[in-house]
Amino acid sequence: MKRPGLWLAAVLFLVSFSLIGYRVFRLGYPLLPTFPAKTWGLTMEIFFEPAGTSGKEIEIRAGLPESRSGQTVIEQRDLSGSLQFNLMPEGLNQIGVWSGDTEEGGVLNYRATVLLNPKRLAKPKPPGPESFPAIVADKSEQVLARRLVERYASLKPPEKLKTLTATAKGIWGEPTPDDNDLKQWSAIQKKYGPEKALLTLLRVADFPVRRVQGFVLTERIATQPDRWISVWTGQKWEHIQLEAGDLYPESLCFIPLMIGDAPLVSVSGGKLQEVRWSLSKQTLSQWRSHFERIQRSTRFLDRWSLFTLPNQFQESFRILLLVPLGVLMISVLRNIVGFPTFGIFMPVLMALAFRSTGLGYGLGIFAGVVSIGYLLRRGIDRLRLLLVPRLSFLITFVILAFTVSALIGSKFGIREFMAVGLLPFVILSMTIERFFILIEESGASQAIRTAAGSAAVAAITYKILEIDPLQLTFFVYPELLLAIMGLLLLLGNYSGYRLSEILRFKILGEKS
Amino acid sequence: MIFRQFLSIRKAGVLGMNRRNTEYIMRHNRRSSFPLVDDKLLTKQLALKHGIPTPPLYHVVSHHGDIAGLERAIVDRQEFVLKPARGGGGSGIILITDRRDGKFVTQSGKVISRDEIRYHISDILSGIYSLEGLEDKAVIEALIHPDQVFGRVTYEGVPDVRIIVYRGVPAMAMVRLPTRQSDGKANLHRGAVGVGIDIGKGKTLDGVRRSGSITHHPDTGELLRDIEVPFWERMLLMAAQSMDMTGLGYLGVDLVIDRKDGPLLLELNARPGLQIQIANRKGLLERLEMIDRAPEEIFLSPEKRIAWATQNFAEASS
Repeated sequence: MKRPGLWLAAVLFLVSFSLIGYRVFRLGYPLLPTFPAKTWGLTMEIFFEPAGTSGKEIEIRAGLPESRSGQTVIEQRDLSGSLQFNLMPEGLNQIGVWSGDTEEGGVLNYRATVLLNPKRLAKPKPPGPESFPAIVADKSEQVLARRLVERYASLKPPEKLKTLTATAKGIWGEPTPDDNDLKQWSAIQKKYGPEKALLTLLRVADFPVRRVQGFVLTERIATQPDRWISVWTGQKWEHIQLEAGDLYPESLCFIPLMIGDAPLVSVSGGKLQEVRWSLSKQTLSQWRSHFERIQRSTRFLDRWSLFTLPNQFQESFRILLLVPLGVLMISVLRNIVGFPTFGIFMPVLMALAFRSTGLGYGLGIFAGVVSIGYLLRRGIDRLRLLLVPRLSFLITFVILAFTVSALIGSKFGIREFMAVGLLPFVILSMTIERFFILIEESGASQAIRTAAGSAAVAAITYKILEIDPLQLTFFVYPELLLAIMGLLLLLGNYSGYRLSEILRFKILGEKS
Repeated sequence: MIFRQFLSIRKAGVLGMNRRNTEYIMRHNRRSSFPLVDDKLLTKQLALKHGIPTPPLYHVVSHHGDIAGLERAIVDRQEFVLKPARGGGGSGIILITDRRDGKFVTQSGKVISRDEIRYHISDILSGIYSLEGLEDKAVIEALIHPDQVFGRVTYEGVPDVRIIVYRGVPAMAMVRLPTRQSDGKANLHRGAVGVGIDIGKGKTLDGVRRSGSITHHPDTGELLRDIEVPFWERMLLMAAQSMDMTGLGYLGVDLVIDRKDGPLLLELNARPGLQIQIANRKGLLERLEMIDRAPEEIFLSPEKRIAWATQNFAEASS
């Protein structure tokens, strides 16, 4: 063979794939570690105080997450110890009951890991025989509610629901009821509170409804659960945000903890001081539970797994392992497709930075900083600064731009603007300088084409780095790096045309 | 669809960037020889040793302290060229064509002061124009007065002839004509026109500008085709000798034709561009492969190599 590079590549592939093969066949790793990476950790701490009289048992009841369609509780643990812990299904809920004899107050500690799997979401189940929330209104008020609801009888359930939901905000759709009815109804809203008033309307309109306490999934610590109303429209459950009187967008994920009117946490024989829930995204915890065996294993490759690293270092390796993937992308996009870019690795660093700012904001900030930087660079061109102070000037400007952006972000609460600190500032400064030189030497069109090429490469690379299963695969099988080295050797030997050259030399191909 | 176009440019023998890099530049150009062509000063010295004429050198400024010494060198020069020794793509070059009230007049008619010249030299020395941003030297040499043969198809500036030389055999040639857009510079990426030259007959073919093919000069409106290039044999020989001089197997040789001194070697390029193929409407790969199949004995002397090239690379007369 005329290229030793090919042999080396073949050896690298062989080593890489035999290590993976060993892990899969001898150590029982899953071949495709494409587990959904979205797991949520829910911890609940209940601070309580027993009633003064001794000898009386304390009993604490709390709604807990439960495996249902689209959500699996893969691990739950009671970490308190002093009280006896039991799980009791009760209607639609899973209730945790802690009971025992205790003299002094304390804290209960419960932790669950919930795996969300929207793909496995079964067809939504219609409500079974269950008790719907009671209608609080008296007879005459119910008659009024009926009259109001009847106006929308012709609407299909989903639209009817939307219209009725809007009434909580005081918005009445066509046809509008007469003023007298409205006045009476707003009195009822005041009397029972908007939630109960809306429930009455929905019940009167024959919607199966549930009151739910639980959490909308965002990372936070809370002392109160979220409350919402779930409504069955005939095809699926819709969820109504009580404060805003709006339907929750469908993309949101929920963990319901208590369906029905019962309080989420209750104590008998004692006093409840405070409950604290915390929600956190745990991308790897599901894997960790899967690989707990690995940590205990004495097998060589198991002991040399990245899973044995302490948590904070695992995080940095997850990002580090993506870099080879990024540079592979750059090699493909430059040498096979033929994108023009500023500098070789600038787009990879941009793509990594986009992970914290998001693609849209990242590209926007990139475009903003480079164009303002360009104007500045043009301005200082007349000053004839020496190279090093000039580049340092640009770097300082870029940092200044970051600072301003972060301050604007904090003023308006835009997190992405505050995350600019992770953009590669040296590279950005060099990009400004190159952009300026390119415009001077080859004209604006070439410079803008190169800038667009860089942005496109960064965006494509970012999209690939965002694929979670891919990240996980690299983390589980770091030997894939050898395979990437092999691919890079092959790419380095590629002497065929770039796609862009087909366009460039088209005129020559047409002739023959 | 894409695959068919792929095949069609392969059939036309087009040389792509990847193949140029891996199979020609990396295989035939030793890294240690690159400085010989990247530094115009070294190229000049080397050419001098091999009897290849270059534009006369006036002065070299190699450190900031010497800027004063420059004063003496240019004090009574009416015209000269100021350029970075390691500049790429024609950047950082200033052509001074006249003097007025102790100031300098550039080729485009701008008047610049002595101070501005000094600033520019200081820029060059700190490496602004050099390829790797390294410290550089400023070269001051004689201004070229181009032979009038391309006068009709040149907008200001100096046209130059680029010859691709593979293993010492001239493989393809073009002349680069400055335009208004290229600001009198002969660099294709700045908008200059490239016109292919028939290696066999030394006559121009059609032109290319920014990837589009043209037949007339965009500024002067004159026909580009069939201009006979003077000193053609001599230029081919100079190009062929550049290989012996540098040891580089794949080389772009840039020559200018001075009204008085005839052809002069301007600079060498170890990574010549591929646009020349469009200027010639011909794939370079085809010719490189022909050269690889040529009989061994032609590689013995430059004369034999150019004889073989003129015989094999002549365009069929149309």
